[in-house]
Amino acid sequence: MQRTGYGNPPPATSPPLHHPVPQHISAVPQLRSPPPPAPQIQHQAGYGNPYQSHPPPQGSFGAYGNFMSDPTAQMGFQVGQTALKHGTEYLEQNVNRYVNISAIKHYFNVSNSYVVNKLFLVLFPWRHKPWSRKQSTGPNGQEGWYLPPRDDLNSPDMYIPLMGFVTYILLSAMVAGLRGEFQPEIFGWTASAAFVMVAVELLLLKLGCYLLSISNDSQLLDLIAYSGYKFVGAIVTIVLSEILNGGKGTGGWIGWTIFTYTFMANALFLLRSLKYVLLPENPSDERGTMQTVARSQKMQRTYFLAGYSYVVQLVLMWYLTRV
Amino acid sequence: MAMLFGFGNLIYIIVLLTNAIAILSEDRFLARIGWSNTVQQPGFGQQVGGDASIKHKLINLMTSVRTLMRIPLILINTVIILYELFFG
Repeated sequence: MQRTGYGNPPPATSPPLHHPVPQHISAVPQLRSPPPPAPQIQHQAGYGNPYQSHPPPQGSFGAYGNFMSDPTAQMGFQVGQTALKHGTEYLEQNVNRYVNISAIKHYFNVSNSYVVNKLFLVLFPWRHKPWSRKQSTGPNGQEGWYLPPRDDLNSPDMYIPLMGFVTYILLSAMVAGLRGEFQPEIFGWTASAAFVMVAVELLLLKLGCYLLSISNDSQLLDLIAYSGYKFVGAIVTIVLSEILNGGKGTGGWIGWTIFTYTFMANALFLLRSLKYVLLPENPSDERGTMQTVARSQKMQRTYFLAGYSYVVQLVLMWYLTRV
Repeated sequence: MAMLFGFGNLIYIIVLLTNAIAILSEDRFLARIGWSNTVQQPGFGQQVGGDASIKHKLINLMTSVRTLMRIPLILINTVIILYELFFG
């Protein structure tokens, strides 16, 4: 009703029609509510002197019933909507300055088959063969941007890490509930612990990239995406060992076997996937005297990559699976 | 599960590490162990231009932290000390 109400007088096309609007105000509520006339008047008197007014519930109800059809209220709605729209635009502009929205949308461009295949790949990376990302070919034949995850299994995405993060929090709360020690604070604790863990990991990665002077475009978002895949292994470890251990936690040789398997799978997955991020092929480094320097630097980077995907991941996944 | 980490602890760790970097004295400590930021003479076989070594990068990072974070660190430390005094 209110939508047609302010759709009828389009303010942009006929500005002079704004003038009759205030006269319209008093006409409509009086017409719309004929049954209780006396409380209406009393209520209007109450507007003039708000301190003495004790409006009966009937009168106030009638006033609220007319609220939607009141043209003043509709103008208020319109103003509010315009303000909201401008505010949203402003927010988008300012957010876009710090976070590249379209670059993030690229990471959420996933399909069902991609998610299933990627989960399978994270858990069973042993026989997977081509690990390089596909690049789309531009119309001129030169290599363009990387394909989105929907078209490329080896592309990092942020859907699985984000869902893994949320699932991990819920799962750890559920495990605590099964043991009968659930508190509502567990959500906050687990969330902040997992978030801080990822943050520390990213800080270490960025520091390592700075020290080894590794630079790559769209690197940070890739690293964020890849740092979230260990939640998949952690969730699988927790669930399987809870089931197989009969609810006694992730200890015992069954739990440690499952943990070792998921850790090794995740580490190999990261080692292969992060190769293009942390070991970029720079043909410009290969000139003459720089050869030895480039070789030693490549060794350092390789050690860094291996240390990240095995040592750091071991500590972090161990911490994650201690629910 | 003992919560080792939390947002508060993360902030404390970062602030303490930044303090630790900023407190290192250039004259008294870093110059003695050869980590000062002075321009070194390129030795024999050392490459001149590209200071790509990890040590050089670390020294640069420490110098930048000391230069950039001196005044903000005073503010942050004051705020944290007041917070700990009143609410800790």
